[in-house]
Amino acid sequence: MSLLELTDRLLNRGVVLTGEATISVAGVDLIYLGLNLVLTAVETMSEKQKTA
Amino acid sequence: MSLLIHAISASPCDEPPRGLAGVPLVWVPAGELGLWASPSEGPLDRELVFDHHRIVEQLCARTACLPVRFGQRVEDEDVARERLAARAGELGATLRRIGGRQEIAITLLWQCSPVIEGRGHRVQASTPGRRFLETRGQAFADEDGRRAAAEALAERLVRELAVDQADVRHAICPAPDLALSSSLLAVPGAAEQAKEDAVRVTATLEGVRAVVSGPWPPYTFAETA
Repeated sequence: MSLLELTDRLLNRGVVLTGEATISVAGVDLIYLGLNLVLTAVETMSEKQKTA
Repeated sequence: MSLLIHAISASPCDEPPRGLAGVPLVWVPAGELGLWASPSEGPLDRELVFDHHRIVEQLCARTACLPVRFGQRVEDEDVARERLAARAGELGATLRRIGGRQEIAITLLWQCSPVIEGRGHRVQASTPGRRFLETRGQAFADEDGRRAAAEALAERLVRELAVDQADVRHAICPAPDLALSSSLLAVPGAAEQAKEDAVRVTATLEGVRAVVSGPWPPYTFAETA
């Protein structure tokens, strides 16, 4: 979760000088990749809680 | 060659860290401010995201900086200077306010859906249309309930941690399983204590699981209007 929170900040916060950049990794927008990682991690955590 | 911008500060520092891929950082002065950047061409990838963070963190440890969002690239030093000069006033004011400070992140995950007295109702309709509308209504009521509970948690955090409202940012219910994603601004030298305090206070919250992260450069507070 800490890494995901950090990723969210690196991609979505901080000073913007040049306008929003389109950052892609293998065709996936990195901006959205960060959020998806967070959601995936939360879903995984929820599943673990349910099975525990 | 284009430049990927890392941070903004009032003056260069002695022995700056290495830039992306180990190349020397570039200092671009513009009036009373300047920016740190790395020569950068080609696609931006995941490794560069964390290399950018390493550079920002090391710069912030050496001098008061405003962290720049990853992916901000300009054609050359002249364009960088122009962009910085255009916003020198607001950036200088933000740097004076948050320079040298660090950010602590608090994430609260729902362990169970909050129960809010008087909100929501059971779907009882027998016809499909009415059942649809009642289900939608219940979903909205549940959403309102979660939001109200998350806002109460945010208020409690601010009160019990005794932080200034200007030094905290909340994202209320940013995802279905998340109650709160908060950022606190810690004064220089007190970030670890602030983190300990956050761990202690969040451990007393019911119905949520807390994760406290950081400290790291004040990305959240570097944003200007």
